Amino acid sequence: MTAPSALGLLPPGATYASVTASVADPVLREQAGRRWWLVFVVGLVLTVVMLGSMFWLFYEGIGIFGNNTSVVWGYPIANYVWWIGIGNAGTLISCMLLLTRQKWRSSINRFAEAMTLFAAAIAGLFPILHLGRPMYFYWLVPYPNTMGTWPQWRSPLVWDFFAIASYIIFSIVFWYVGAIPDFATFRDRAKSRAGQLIYGALALGWRGSARHWVRYEAFYHTMAALGVPLVVSVHSVVGLDFAAGNMPGWQETIFPPYFVVGAMFSGFAMVVVLAAVTRSFLKVEALVSLHHFEAMAKILLAGSIVMGLSYATEAYQGWYAGDDVDRTFLAFQFHGAYAWLYWCQIAFNVFVPQLFWAPAIRRSIPALLVIAVLINVGMYLERILLIINTLSRGHLPAEWSLFAPTLWDWLLLGGSLGFFMLLFACFLRLVPAVSMHEVKQLVPAEAAA
Amino acid sequence: MIVDHRATRLARSTRPPAAPGLLSEPRLNRRDALRLLGLALTAGVAGCRAPEDIVPAIANLDGNAAGVPLHAATTLPLGGYGRGVLAKSVDGRPIKVSGNPDHPASFGATDIFAEADILGLYDPERARSAMRGNLPLGWEGFLADLAPRLEVLRQAGGAGLSVLTGRVTSPTLIGQLAALKGIFPQMQWRRFEPLGDDNARAGSIAAFGRPLDLVPHLDRADVVFCLGADPLGPGPGQIRNAQGFRQRRTVRRGTTAMQRLYAVESATSLTGAMADHRLALSPEALADLAHALAARLGSEGAVPAGAHAGFVDALAADLTAAQGRALVLVGEEQPPALHALGHWLNQRLGAFGATVELIEPVDPVLDGHGDSLAALVDDLEAGRVDTLVMLGTNPVYTAPADLDVAAALAKAPFTVQLGLAPDETTAHCDWHLAETHPLEAWSDLRAVDGTASLVQPLIAPLYATKTSHEVVAALAGETSVAAQDLLRRTWQSAAPVGGFDGWWRRALETGVVPGSAAQPVAPPRAVQLAPHAAAPAQPAAAGITLMLRPDATIWDGAYSNNAWLQECPKPVSHLTWGNALALTPEDANRLGLAEGDAARIGTSGRWVEAPVRLDRGLAPGTASLSFGYGRTGIGAIGLGLGANAYALRTRGQPWQVEELTVERVGRADEMPVTQFTLDDQGRDLAPVHPLSDLLAGKLDRTKDAPASFYGEHPYEAPYKGPEQDYAWAMVIDTTLCIGCNACVVACQSENNVPVVGPDEIRRGRDMHWLRIDAYETEFDGQMQSVFQPVPCMHCEEAPCEPVCPVGASVHDHEGLNVQVYNRCVGTRFCQANCPYKVRRFNFFGYADGHVYANLGEDPLPARYNPDVTVRARGVMEKCTYCVQRISGARRDAEKDDRRIREGEVVTACQSACPTQAIQFGDLGAPDSRVRPLRDEPQHHVLLEEVGTKPRTTYLSRLRNPNPALAGDGA
Repeated sequence: MTAPSALGLLPPGATYASVTASVADPVLREQAGRRWWLVFVVGLVLTVVMLGSMFWLFYEGIGIFGNNTSVVWGYPIANYVWWIGIGNAGTLISCMLLLTRQKWRSSINRFAEAMTLFAAAIAGLFPILHLGRPMYFYWLVPYPNTMGTWPQWRSPLVWDFFAIASYIIFSIVFWYVGAIPDFATFRDRAKSRAGQLIYGALALGWRGSARHWVRYEAFYHTMAALGVPLVVSVHSVVGLDFAAGNMPGWQETIFPPYFVVGAMFSGFAMVVVLAAVTRSFLKVEALVSLHHFEAMAKILLAGSIVMGLSYATEAYQGWYAGDDVDRTFLAFQFHGAYAWLYWCQIAFNVFVPQLFWAPAIRRSIPALLVIAVLINVGMYLERILLIINTLSRGHLPAEWSLFAPTLWDWLLLGGSLGFFMLLFACFLRLVPAVSMHEVKQLVPAEAAA
Repeated sequence: MIVDHRATRLARSTRPPAAPGLLSEPRLNRRDALRLLGLALTAGVAGCRAPEDIVPAIANLDGNAAGVPLHAATTLPLGGYGRGVLAKSVDGRPIKVSGNPDHPASFGATDIFAEADILGLYDPERARSAMRGNLPLGWEGFLADLAPRLEVLRQAGGAGLSVLTGRVTSPTLIGQLAALKGIFPQMQWRRFEPLGDDNARAGSIAAFGRPLDLVPHLDRADVVFCLGADPLGPGPGQIRNAQGFRQRRTVRRGTTAMQRLYAVESATSLTGAMADHRLALSPEALADLAHALAARLGSEGAVPAGAHAGFVDALAADLTAAQGRALVLVGEEQPPALHALGHWLNQRLGAFGATVELIEPVDPVLDGHGDSLAALVDDLEAGRVDTLVMLGTNPVYTAPADLDVAAALAKAPFTVQLGLAPDETTAHCDWHLAETHPLEAWSDLRAVDGTASLVQPLIAPLYATKTSHEVVAALAGETSVAAQDLLRRTWQSAAPVGGFDGWWRRALETGVVPGSAAQPVAPPRAVQLAPHAAAPAQPAAAGITLMLRPDATIWDGAYSNNAWLQECPKPVSHLTWGNALALTPEDANRLGLAEGDAARIGTSGRWVEAPVRLDRGLAPGTASLSFGYGRTGIGAIGLGLGANAYALRTRGQPWQVEELTVERVGRADEMPVTQFTLDDQGRDLAPVHPLSDLLAGKLDRTKDAPASFYGEHPYEAPYKGPEQDYAWAMVIDTTLCIGCNACVVACQSENNVPVVGPDEIRRGRDMHWLRIDAYETEFDGQMQSVFQPVPCMHCEEAPCEPVCPVGASVHDHEGLNVQVYNRCVGTRFCQANCPYKVRRFNFFGYADGHVYANLGEDPLPARYNPDVTVRARGVMEKCTYCVQRISGARRDAEKDDRRIREGEVVTACQSACPTQAIQFGDLGAPDSRVRPLRDEPQHHVLLEEVGTKPRTTYLSRLRNPNPALAGDGA
């Protein structure tokens, strides 16, 4: 892939000081703007909705969701798959682009990683929330106990548990390590005593010595190398949750790669949304430039083509195998009760992103924002349809039934979005949202050009 | 606030208010309050005691030891007739009913009503004391109120005394009423059974000059022709008929013949579903066809020219060829003339004494049911009734709409109702006496064939209740006599002289009074067929004729407050918690109605509202609606569900409403159904084969077992003799499954399966471990259904097992796929991955905390089978092959140091099945009954291609069509 040249990634005349100032000053020197407060308050209200829904869920039981005897899974699982997909892109950007020396990543990787962390954490909640007996989720952990019980290792859910857990742990460590030099910068620029102490503690005594930088680079690149297989594994395992089943529409070998691409796709779409937001809130237009958006638009375009190919392959294989159950499933997908959702999914994920062939669209922030949101909606539709299409049309027509979400399904989904907003708003006001030390590495190159 | 919400969350709020005076708070004065307090104290003490003189069925007198179940024979009533059962009681609590093999109306099997009587016993809304209005004055209070009236009545020779009963077959009660008549010569005994037999009686009188009961023997018939009759449908004869059906329809290797069943009917029925040839005809066309058949068989009179000449010819030829082995049955809903015609046909075919026997009526009252009730209403209106005693009847609800019983009751100065629970009639009575449940009572009953059997209590009455015997005795002045003594008095004469005690004990042990079956009588005279007038020109199907039918799960409404039966899916329609107006798709279309639309139906100013259900098995121009719904005066379970068919019934037309007006209401009523499509999508999931294919060797599927990449599973290794593990398996013969649901309710009772209520059913959260899938199949242009009971398949390669992250779904060494409830965390991946979708999830605490309506109240928990865990919220559950019964048998076997014997483990569904369609056992036993079934040519595996290797397998449905009708649209 031809990366955008380093040229144009920074504003003309950028210096180390100007980069630092543009990232640190909005946090340390300026008051939060009205828009930030709006996001914060909306996020807070929705977070309260999420907590309330969770309380009601734990109090009443999962019967409050729309699930039924045939469609035993519903929104919580779709939420989980969707959020973990969102959470895929941050690490992908950080690791894969770092290792392939895509310099443009340095402006967006920090908040993409934060996005990953928050999304993965939210995703990790849903498998627990969907359990009939959520208080026993830890039974999936292999821990010594007096009952002599042990997880059942053949279950994809156990693999999943490990995949999510290792991914979240990795994301935290990688994100934090990458931010240490910037925490040190914040420590040095903080005005309040509390800020100095907190950022100082987070900076772990970073002094920016050459030895620090050597160890840092070695460690960070090693982590990045570890991260790439994790990015692939986490969503492959999510794919296996379905592919290991024997239901029509699930039992497909294409699932692991298809899920990884889907995750990258939805994650990048979310990065676009967040980049636009961050850029406007922090006034770092200078650092997150149209070049970045254009690069991400191209990745989304590539993703949409792969998604289209995957959908076509999936459908073709279902039809080609000739199994009556699979064909019934396909027919239901194409013109059953949820077909309109399926066609929305295809439109949002495959056709709408084709607009990115036009350079003007790739460079228009409003257009990018709209398309990215549509992609995220389309990917949510893919996740929920994956579950309800299959479970609504199983092997025995006598047990066919339809799924309808309840108020609580919606509240928990909306609440989790709000929680994400809240976390991201806090992140913007508390943490260096752009990786200053990595951007600064571009300064000499820009200056030389 | 939260607690309030929790308690009512699953309770429906859309019900009409209860009848005034029934549930409203009584105004208590100090004296009544003290009385109530005393009652409450005594009620608490009385619970859960086995009566002292009960005689167990098997000689395990140590059955009273703690935890050891006691089985005792008793009899349960349905429509007044008895069905013998063995009731199982643990620590003084009856918890399960199964069939009594010695009883001719049971043969060891049950029906849904008998199974559900356990729940009825513990119904929290049962009446607990004698009530005068809202005051629990008790039996003594009643006697005090009654005494002066009896004095007056005695002086008047009983004038003004009327007793209203349902159908009475109890020899003791009949004797008591006769004795009462001796004391009060002027008294009137009226009897009204809502699902009566007036048409059959009238037909018998027309044919023979006097009423006689018909006892069909399906087991002796080669060809059966059901003319609107539903011998396999719900009713007191169902188990008996199903047993006969089984005997002539079971096809195993070596069988070369099979009974042939023809059904011509207007509404859909189980018999129609099972028939080899079915014709759906309007009532007029049905009568025409019957007369055409009679003409074809030599009757005089006009032969209606029908469109079904081919059918009639083939049927006539088939029946004639089976002379002496043919049987014609006419449904009660048909007019008397057709019953008489049925008798003539049977006579012509030599059926009397061969395939059908005539007996003197088991119910000795000669008046018609409708006439008897009408006479009572006349008496009431004319002020001729001073004291009315109603024993176990609810005429305000069940009376035809043209008899205003409620208004008439107001004219009687003293009205008393004996009933299990308050109902619509109660509000119109002065006294409501709490009735003893049959499982608590001493009594006797006769079966449809006249066999008498004793009713003995499994538990001392839970409340201060009385039986009909005690009430009638009180009327006769014997206020302190026990029902058991009355019973002994009746049977004293039947016992050999001096040997009464031994005789009595044996009768109680076996549950049958020996030699009490009615003796067949010869037809009193040759049946003369009244010449059939040439059919009037058929009016061009203008109006819709509504057929009124017994309900498949709540009968005549007697079981309205039984949650198991409300939630039991009605055969084919899979409707629960209500009834619906069944319309043909064409008629519905014409009327602008779609499935689920609310319709306002009625005629002559009487209207009810019911949701529309499309039924492709109905005859064009007909509709159907079942009795028993639209209750206004009963408990929390049945109140306000469905439409009241009695409100459309008239004395003259008890079974149908002609020229029915159907109007759109403009509202959709989402019906709680458990199966949404009857179309098997061409997947041939429940295959049907003609017998001829089997005989021609076309069905041998053993050769084309699916290939596998993998080695044989160790389960399939050759059996190694006594050291070999048991290999449990089940084979279900769909040729025999009549879709009666007995297995479903038996499973619910045995395995503590919770009831979820209509809202949860609408959400698709049915909890039955065993369901009966139905698929519509078209034979010769007629819609019929194939029933397929689906319990857990106990797959050897179970898809549920590898996906469970905590190992809650595991396989045991005997081939059971077991669910470890306390390990389950509720991921539901097992059910997501189950191709058969047989697992059931506790989305709420259905058994605890989130129970529907009143199901969590005392004393309902007493119904639980102590051998089966009551599942908590959030865990998955499913059919276990009744693992608790396997464990029980294993304990017994290990005590004797032997293997479990073949036939020793009987699952609840198997035990209930009236056709023995369900067989269960050890594949490895040398004398295994299940193993050879798996080698039958019609054996098939559901979804074999998925590769799950189920232990539950099927025998395909075989039908025996008449070659003369092959491919003929009749």
